[in-house]
Amino acid sequence: AAFGLYFPRKEYSENVYIDQPAGTPLLRIHALRDSHGEVAHFHLCQNLIISRARSHENNWFQIREKTGLLYLSQSLDREDFNMLSVGNWMSLSKVMLYVFLSSHPFQEKECDSATRTTVFLSLINATAPACSSLTARQLCFTEMDLSFHIKENKPPGTFHQLQLPSVHHLCQNLSISYKLLAAEGMPFRYNENTTGVSVTQRLDREERERYELIAKCTVREGFREMQVEVPFLVNVLDEDDSPPFLPNGTDTADAVVEFNRKEGTVLATLTVYDADTTPIYPLESSRKKYTGTIITDDPWISETFRVEHIFDEIHFSPNGSQVRGTQHEYKLVLNKSISVTEHRSFQLDVLVNDTEFHGPERSVMLHFNVSILPVSIQFPNMTYQFTVNRNAERFAQIGKICIENCMKFRGVNITYKLLSPNVSCYPVSILQGREDKYGSLYVNDSSVLRRPECKEIQYTIQATDRQSRKHTKTLLTLVLEGTLLKKEEDCPDSCAVSKHHAECEECGGLGVLTGRCQWRQGSGKGITTNYSTCTPSIKTCPDGICDVIESRDPAVCPQDCTSGNIIGGHGKGTGNLGIKSGHGICYCFPRQNCYCEKDDIKEQLCDDVCKTVI
Amino acid sequence: LAGPPSPPGQDPHGWRVPVDCVRANELCAAEPSCSSRYRTLRQCLAGRDRNTMLANKECQTALEVLQESPLYDCRCKRGMKKELQCLQIYWSIHLGLTEGEEFYEASPYEPVTSRLSDIFRLASIFSGMDPATNSKSNHCLDAAKACNLNDNCKRLRSGYISTCSKEISATEHCSRRKCHKALRQFFDRVPSEYTYRLLFCSCKDQACAERRRQTIVPSCSYEDKEKPNCLDLRNTCRTDHLCRSRLADFHTNCQASFQSLTSCPGDNYQACLGSYAGLIAGFDVTPNYVDASTASITISPWCSCKGSGNMEEECEKFLQDFTENPCLRNAIQAFGNGTDVNFSP
Repeated sequence: AAFGLYFPRKEYSENVYIDQPAGTPLLRIHALRDSHGEVAHFHLCQNLIISRARSHENNWFQIREKTGLLYLSQSLDREDFNMLSVGNWMSLSKVMLYVFLSSHPFQEKECDSATRTTVFLSLINATAPACSSLTARQLCFTEMDLSFHIKENKPPGTFHQLQLPSVHHLCQNLSISYKLLAAEGMPFRYNENTTGVSVTQRLDREERERYELIAKCTVREGFREMQVEVPFLVNVLDEDDSPPFLPNGTDTADAVVEFNRKEGTVLATLTVYDADTTPIYPLESSRKKYTGTIITDDPWISETFRVEHIFDEIHFSPNGSQVRGTQHEYKLVLNKSISVTEHRSFQLDVLVNDTEFHGPERSVMLHFNVSILPVSIQFPNMTYQFTVNRNAERFAQIGKICIENCMKFRGVNITYKLLSPNVSCYPVSILQGREDKYGSLYVNDSSVLRRPECKEIQYTIQATDRQSRKHTKTLLTLVLEGTLLKKEEDCPDSCAVSKHHAECEECGGLGVLTGRCQWRQGSGKGITTNYSTCTPSIKTCPDGICDVIESRDPAVCPQDCTSGNIIGGHGKGTGNLGIKSGHGICYCFPRQNCYCEKDDIKEQLCDDVCKTVI
Repeated sequence: LAGPPSPPGQDPHGWRVPVDCVRANELCAAEPSCSSRYRTLRQCLAGRDRNTMLANKECQTALEVLQESPLYDCRCKRGMKKELQCLQIYWSIHLGLTEGEEFYEASPYEPVTSRLSDIFRLASIFSGMDPATNSKSNHCLDAAKACNLNDNCKRLRSGYISTCSKEISATEHCSRRKCHKALRQFFDRVPSEYTYRLLFCSCKDQACAERRRQTIVPSCSYEDKEKPNCLDLRNTCRTDHLCRSRLADFHTNCQASFQSLTSCPGDNYQACLGSYAGLIAGFDVTPNYVDASTASITISPWCSCKGSGNMEEECEKFLQDFTENPCLRNAIQAFGNGTDVNFSP
């Protein structure tokens, strides 16, 4: 048997007083059996463990090997007490004893058996109290809760004695009787003669995992009668005695790979239930107990897919009372990114195995219908045409280049490239962020825009899948329009420097589309993401993202990209970049500070003095 | 019981008064037999569990000899210089002595002898008013104001608040590790008159209780995507010397006891509140108020007993030392009301 004999409690406790005579019984320990015919032998470790102090040889306590009765074999005098109290900082001294259990008589007196329980003895610095000074609670029960655990599927047996041996010994002229209050049909019995409580049948945790009873104690002293009731709890311990099963019989799921081909993608999930509990601690050992294995001879399949197993506690209600069970989820996951050219479908089987269940139905087979569809790398059926204002400045964002379904792709790396035209007019470039699925077209050389001979420029754009080297091309037409504006003098090269509406729209700056900066009028309420600011293009700046073009030059959009100081009420953006929210108007000096402040000084109207001067 | 630090030796009761472990280590190093045994023991413990260690004769002898050295009884002080080093020395001996699977471990810290009343006295001096009399005010707001009027408190408080609310990236809300470190500095270096007032202020409305809950910036220092199992959390904590020590200290000073009037060991509220504050940013076992309720105070670390299997009883017991602990609750309420138990030394 895996378990053998076991203790129904992890801890016992009792008080010990000065000069209690040798032979005083202290407490009774019980053991429960794993199989019929086992006989319990109790043994005491010959060391007293004292919290934080050195352990001490045990000269005072002994246990009856057959009955589990712990008793004083030698009285503790004051000197013993002082010795055992050394190192104990608390006024109360506690010593700890380990009791071991075996189905054979103990040969060697060693403290290394796995089955043990702990006895806490509180050393009370006084002689034993008179029975009359004890409360009914103290006469009836110890401080420790009456809480027990019984393993399911094990033979019945006695697991507790309600009567306290020490009190019974001390207060023989008191009548103390017990009762166990249990609802009808509970599998426990109280024996009035021994005050022993026993479990009367094999328990099944999957039927019920907790029994709540009440232990009632009556103390009679002459004509006085006192009663105390305390909860008496029994938890049923679980063992693996249930096979896995499928909710609604579902054992098949579809797994389609199309645009999302990235390593780590979860393609499909199938669920397996088990009425047994599965501890999530320690996690790895529970994972090993419940395995999910891909059944295949194809090395490509075993390299490309993996199964991830997670599990969670759920509740079943077999007959009104709730019991815990487990929901296991098996996720089919891509183990590596799949090429866009891959095209196949097959059934992938996963064998789920409840390794600790000893029965014929310990495993279930899960089926995933996998379809891997190829995706085509092609531009939509049109050619691109953008118009560019001749007054646009360097880093002005003209548009986005994107192959069909590009925003849906994951795990596919597309690179966009402009093939140089054979003419000298070449004002634009493409840039692409690391994870970006699209290319951004922007002005790279604004002087070209001003040249009269450049009017309509044709480019070829090429998109290439990095892994398969598949590529596609399309045409891009740029039409230059608008008349050249005269450049204002004294304008800064960054729109963000302007603090007022008027000066903002008078000037241009890096990244502007039409030669002039744009003013964003904010809501003006507190610190808001919608703050007032001057920007090259309201569409791209500030939008809370420092994009690949903005990050090329700090003068383009410091509102999204600054990593410097921001003075005034503000909230910083993601990764400490940019101004996420600001108070009033936010303006920046690139490579230096940004300021957010309320503009309280109203633009002065021309007053009388002013008029006179004019 | 503990007076001013004394040299190793015997106190008048014939008890050995503990020295701090850093000092004990120096004393041991000066003695060739002690230092060589200590080296042996450290090698024994490195990467091995207790049972294999004790199977080795040489290791066992080393342990027995060291039980007679000052290292055996040594303790550490919270916030002392070289605290971590001190705790490392403490556990290097005690890991070999304890079973390592005890539910409660003894605290490596010296016992707290000051009382809550000491704090109240100081608190009323700097606030200029008795917090108990002004029932309309928001005590948590008052505590924040008092902290801002003290340079040290203000500096360390704004330090941890900015660290704990600094967004790292779209996926990483904040640096939890740095936040915990900043919080630890705040609670270790700012006097408890200030820190306790922020942490344990009493509240009559929800806004106040929410401010109290937000004191440690729970979105970074406390909450997480998933709630782990409490036993798992305890296990992680015990692999770290500092976390393990703080948890042991909490268990020593806040363990509910039937033997005392207040349910606290030795009726010492101050010790329990101190251990609680010491546990904050003790890595993952950081406790906090679970909600902004004013009627009842519920404290919990960020964990649950879901998935405990056969250990559910033990898990519930661990969790209930936070959620349903009469000692902790009484101590917090006593601080909020400005009351302490009468104590005669």
